[in-house]
Amino acid sequence: MTVPPGDTATRSRRCHGILAVRGLLDFPYWHELVLVMLLAALMLWARWQAPDFVTWETQLDLSTHIWELALMCLPMTLIIITAGIDLSVGSIMALSAVILGTAYLRWDVPIGLAAVLALLTGAAAGALNGVFVAWVRVHPLIVTLATLAAYYGTAVGISHGMPLSNYPESFRLIGGGSLCGLPIAGLLCAAAALFSAVVLSQTAFGQALYAIGHNETAVRFSGISVARIKLLLYTCSGLAAGLSALLFVGRRNTANTDIGTGISLDVITAVVLGGTSIFGGRGRILGTLLGIALIHETREFVSWHWSKAELNLIVIGALLIVSVLLNSLLSARRRLREY
Amino acid sequence: MSTPPLPPAAALAPPLWQRLNRREFWVLALLAATVAAVSAKNPGFCQLSNIRNMLVNAAPTTIVACGLTLVIVTGEIDISVGSLMGFLAAVLGATSSSVHMGWPAAYSVVLVLALGMAVGCLNGLLVTLGRVPSIVVTLGMMMALLGVTKLFLSGYDDSIDVSKCAPALRWLDRGAVLSIPAAVCIALAVIAGSAFLVYMLPLGRRIYAVGSNPRAAFLAGLSQQRIKLFVFTLTGLLVGLATLVRVPQLAKVESSIGQGLELLVVTCVVVGGTSISGGKGTLCGSVLAVLLLSSIGSVLLFLRLSESATYWEQAIQGAFILAAVLADHLARRRHGQEEGA
Repeated sequence: MTVPPGDTATRSRRCHGILAVRGLLDFPYWHELVLVMLLAALMLWARWQAPDFVTWETQLDLSTHIWELALMCLPMTLIIITAGIDLSVGSIMALSAVILGTAYLRWDVPIGLAAVLALLTGAAAGALNGVFVAWVRVHPLIVTLATLAAYYGTAVGISHGMPLSNYPESFRLIGGGSLCGLPIAGLLCAAAALFSAVVLSQTAFGQALYAIGHNETAVRFSGISVARIKLLLYTCSGLAAGLSALLFVGRRNTANTDIGTGISLDVITAVVLGGTSIFGGRGRILGTLLGIALIHETREFVSWHWSKAELNLIVIGALLIVSVLLNSLLSARRRLREY
Repeated sequence: MSTPPLPPAAALAPPLWQRLNRREFWVLALLAATVAAVSAKNPGFCQLSNIRNMLVNAAPTTIVACGLTLVIVTGEIDISVGSLMGFLAAVLGATSSSVHMGWPAAYSVVLVLALGMAVGCLNGLLVTLGRVPSIVVTLGMMMALLGVTKLFLSGYDDSIDVSKCAPALRWLDRGAVLSIPAAVCIALAVIAGSAFLVYMLPLGRRIYAVGSNPRAAFLAGLSQQRIKLFVFTLTGLLVGLATLVRVPQLAKVESSIGQGLELLVVTCVVVGGTSISGGKGTLCGSVLAVLLLSSIGSVLLFLRLSESATYWEQAIQGAFILAAVLADHLARRRHGQEEGA
């Protein structure tokens, strides 16, 4: 057993101090609770400052672009739980969108087939990441950093940086259409979230993900094929990025190479803000969803109220650091046990 | 019974064939091959003016890479360097421009270096005292700084004219020492300084000790916290220096300065053989990788392939890195060190 540097004796005495504090610190949904409180505080404040903002119609109007982000956050949560990371989702999104546009507009492929082609491209790009991570066993940060440049570069190379616009009405429905007053993209996203939450918390596969995040070698020795699981996860991530590209193109009616720029970092921010440990082994879909909601509402409220987009970045950057800082201070005891 | 005498240092050094297997050698070989191939196709590539341009362009990246190599060797990472450069460039432009604040160059320079150190130090404090993973800290810092830069520049119509800046700053672009461009001189000085730190000072050994085995370093009485704080602060300072070199090369200060720098620098450091999990890597490798990767743009230009080739530059860069990673993996597997990443 290894002990973290620092005066362990004092720390454990401080942490074991009062039974009530101990019980409080053991509460498993600390992070989610903090996020809910932050979100509630924000919405109350928004209600007081700008009553128009907190209405169903406004929220629905503002939510059109969040579904793409949310869709990519789900596999990213699973990947980060296994102590991996995928920086290339934004580039995969750009590549899929460009493939869709090129296939439909340049090669005259029917739109349905073009969409399938785009999804396959996303899955293949994710699978290539997975092969490098799982079989070649390179650190995922390096692999996806390289493919971030490679996929984006390929997208630029194929499209020459030109936007590809004009898609049929039927295709634009998936990005912008609604069903019973709810956006189709949102319903799709909710179904995916429910599915990932069930897989993560209720199945042996989900437990294996946490185990990989804690101790990969032990999982391998217990006869679980870590490589196959990782390959599957990265492929799912690529597929989700491809689907996000379809939603984006459907909503905006145009595909260009810059649609995914910087979105990987947004995705990782939302997941980490949601309480998933970047070192793996800890995290939940619920937290991720709250993280997305918090980022989204903060961003929209700041632009709504002060109409300064620059403030968003500052607020979200600070929010990310402070929330993880708080979590790390609050969970000092839990970390002690982890070592 | 006495213990046998230790073998001389020379006997402990790895044999030549193992040293040839090091990453630096392969990066150098690839660089040499690229230069040879391109100059065979187009002799203009080897002209002094082109080489001078390439080196001047690579100087800021090299300076930042020296700092980031040390950060990655301690097992941490700093992805806020690009945004920090943008922020410092805005500060430098606003303070030294005669249209705006019109400070003397020396004051602006000191302010930029001090601010760089302060941000680096803040990163370091959050990582060491706050116990927040460095990728999270610097990701947050990256976004926050980009926001600050945009907000700050919106007070100056989103861009500041560099030609109005203090004339002393222009020397950094136009000036030369012994006919070596000033930017290259500064980069060389930074490389020499970092090499001195790493190879001559105990602190350099400690940086590697903390990165390769934190537990052993702790038992040996090293303060992991203090060493990490130092490397983050040093990186902040070097980003300040890189900003001073970069800004005079440009026409305008905009918030897009430094965007993507963090990815380029991390890529270079990794291609240069530094292990992302810490404890392994050399400055030499990082510098060679910077030269290799920053030459790709110029190479494509001089190969005169066609108009569309320039669109593939990023794809080629990405493929390069993947190839390097794959080659490294195959080499390691042959030597039976697969597990030691």
